[in-house]
Amino acid sequence: AGGVSLRRCSTRVNLEDVNRPVIDRIIRVDHAGEYGANRIYAGQMAVLGRSSVGPVIQQMWNQEKDHLKKFNELMVAYRVRPTVLLPFWNVAGFVLGAGSALLGKKGAMACTVAVEESISDHYNSQIRTLMEEDPEKYKELLQVIKQFRDDEREHHDIGLEHDAEA
Amino acid sequence: YTGQGGQESEDYESEEQLQHRILTAALEFVPEHGWTAEAIAEGAKTLGLSAAAAGMFHSDGSELILHFVSQCNTKLSELLEQEQKLVQLGEAEKKPTDQFLRDAVQARLRMLIPYIEKWPQALSILLLPHNIPSSLNLLTSMIDDIWHYAGDQSTDFNWYTRRAVLTGIYNTTELVMIQDSSPDFEDTWRFLENRVADAMNMGNTANQVQSTGEAVVQGLMGAAVTVSYAETSRAVR
Repeated sequence: AGGVSLRRCSTRVNLEDVNRPVIDRIIRVDHAGEYGANRIYAGQMAVLGRSSVGPVIQQMWNQEKDHLKKFNELMVAYRVRPTVLLPFWNVAGFVLGAGSALLGKKGAMACTVAVEESISDHYNSQIRTLMEEDPEKYKELLQVIKQFRDDEREHHDIGLEHDAEA
Repeated sequence: YTGQGGQESEDYESEEQLQHRILTAALEFVPEHGWTAEAIAEGAKTLGLSAAAAGMFHSDGSELILHFVSQCNTKLSELLEQEQKLVQLGEAEKKPTDQFLRDAVQARLRMLIPYIEKWPQALSILLLPHNIPSSLNLLTSMIDDIWHYAGDQSTDFNWYTRRAVLTGIYNTTELVMIQDSSPDFEDTWRFLENRVADAMNMGNTANQVQSTGEAVVQGLMGAAVTVSYAETSRAVR
């Protein structure tokens, strides 16, 4: 029961140096965000999976799955607790995705555009915070967040493209 | 604090460090005096300070108890860290989860043994409203530490479930321990073993309850369909 496996020592972050409250919050919120985004795309796929935008949504969903995986790793490495609202985001995300998809392809894409816009803004302000703190110390984290911010902007642009066409 | 020459003396010590030294020295006197200002005064005297140094602290012994708990937690973390190193170096076997949890809780509770007579007093003081934030903080970080070294990597709600369950196990075992008069507290360790086994089984039980629940629902649906069919037939006749 429960399969708790031993962690390998590779991800050994020196937790003494790190500004715990700031990093904790960043990772917890980002993890919750990626988790929510996953559920939104899952909801959209449930409705529009077999339509012409199905493959597009699937691809964006796959990238979000990678993002979530990365944050799961960071969460363990930095010993951050997950948000207690995860069960809520599970349902709320799916409902938002499915609901917007029921409005049609335009609805789904508009939802994507809005969500990705606010996620990129959010990542941008985190990048600013970390740069103000100590760009050297948080180099790895900054790299991850910048990459993800770029991915989300791409999703935003894809959403706009398809929103216009659909 | 600086000396007259404007330079810090070599044995410069902050107030906090001094307080830690006094409280550590005071622990020796707890079995006799309890978690009180008297114990702190005696501790201060062994360091060559005046008994009035006890005036630095609250009269209810809160800081002494919190200091002790914090020290025990640090010792536990160091112990678990060392064990983990041995496993990584291949010099020790990795323990199964239930044994790991049992051993960690036992190691931590054994630190109470020299003070066990006066521990109920300490527990009640830790529950005072002004101490709850600190004592809760110490408890949750200790439990988190144990799960961390047990290898917990949950990033979902299990993170909370596991910690809640272990906290329950720890607290109940602690209460059993303070009333235990068996040799070397063997009753306590048996209680601990049973509680940990229960917790491990909970996962299986949850699955079983769900399957049973689904089966019951299906049965009820079948019954409802049969009854409504019988009613409709009777109505038609």
